Amino acid sequence: MAVMRMGYMHVRVTDLAEAKEHYANTVGLYQTLEQDGRVYYKGWDEWDHHSVVIEEGGVGYVKCGFKCDKPEDIAEIEAKTIAFGYPVERMVAGENPEVGDGIRVTLPSGHQIEFYSHMTAWGLEVGTHNPDAFPRHMVGIGAPRLDHALLWVNDPGEIERFFVDVIGMWATERVRTSLDDDAHTIATWLTIGESNHDIALLEAPENKIHHFAFEMRGWSDILHAADIFAMDDVPIDIGPTRHGITRGTTIYFFDPAGNRNETFSGGYRCFRDRPTVTWTPDQLGKAIFYHQRELNERFLTVAT
Amino acid sequence: MPRLTVESDGVTIDILEGETILEGLYRNGFAYRIGCRRGGCAICKVDLVDGEVTYNRTVADTVLSDEERAAGTCLSCRAVPVTDVKIALREENLRRVSSLMAFAMKAAPRATSAQSQ
Ligand code: FES
Ligand SMILES: [Fe+2]
Repeated sequence: MAVMRMGYMHVRVTDLAEAKEHYANTVGLYQTLEQDGRVYYKGWDEWDHHSVVIEEGGVGYVKCGFKCDKPEDIAEIEAKTIAFGYPVERMVAGENPEVGDGIRVTLPSGHQIEFYSHMTAWGLEVGTHNPDAFPRHMVGIGAPRLDHALLWVNDPGEIERFFVDVIGMWATERVRTSLDDDAHTIATWLTIGESNHDIALLEAPENKIHHFAFEMRGWSDILHAADIFAMDDVPIDIGPTRHGITRGTTIYFFDPAGNRNETFSGGYRCFRDRPTVTWTPDQLGKAIFYHQRELNERFLTVAT
Repeated sequence: MPRLTVESDGVTIDILEGETILEGLYRNGFAYRIGCRRGGCAICKVDLVDGEVTYNRTVADTVLSDEERAAGTCLSCRAVPVTDVKIALREENLRRVSSLMAFAMKAAPRATSAQSQ
């Protein structure tokens, strides 16, 4: 598979100092670079130079990047994107610090997504020679790695076609207006590998970011994270709880600019021949928050 | 100490030094539609009917534009009253989520609530 994973998420924050405090000391990411009003971070279990970029000024989505296996993969995605009809432009090495050549695709929602195959290697915090299980002095919740994002888009069914036909993803779960074949897709969870999703799309009146998520090592780390959020006065949107969709355990919380973050753990392994799960809107509460079985008023109304 | 009146609900509370409108109302046991509490999602907008507020953080203009500010829109999770202020909620009512606070407010004469439900 050409695309391997979501490699980075880049968002705006209103106050860089407060956001740095959050991503470094609460989320526990490692700062690898600060340059031109942007700060770059990686999680302890990531080896590339960065997975999160914060930029001062405003709030919300700037772009995200997907890492491909080989440089040839990028040319292939470029050709397929052109044939598919979405705008695509080339980006050169260094446009994003420590990131190689690539392309930038603009979805009809306006979201820009970059594809690249090279990022400067930084190394795992535990190293690769007889490593320990985790860094001895983890900070905050010690988020190991970036996992996925959920975007608000006007037409998830249409954009799903791009991720399926061009990128080679497939839908593990969907929310549809009914179980009929011609039902309308309200939301879709798309994966490229064996995780439940690398990106999800939710139908919304505006094109924004709903959240981006860090993968945690399990439920006990999620509970521990909730305690840290209490100590650091981080606003919790919901959780700790479970999603019906993906079965993953979760906390939604907000960074100091109001961008929604998630700690996510669990889910099941996905193989390409696994049948896609369908949820209907009457069960949306259980689908999103499995224990509460009802949506909170923020799920469908709050995004940046 | 500035006083905050929620015109649409007839509730008046004291606002502590540096406290936002949201913090003051939640401290007094009220709730209304809010989201991130951090100035990012714009869901907590209310109408500033009277008085003056200042913002304790930079607010993104995609969240609250200058025109909106001029027209009396107020981002309640970041707005700190500098004078007595009067606000109105938009298409909703204040909810009393802590009845204990209703007792506490009766006991404390400065923090009065004209109504409780
Ligand atoms: S609650 Fe999100 S901007 Fe106020
Ligand atoms: Fe998520």
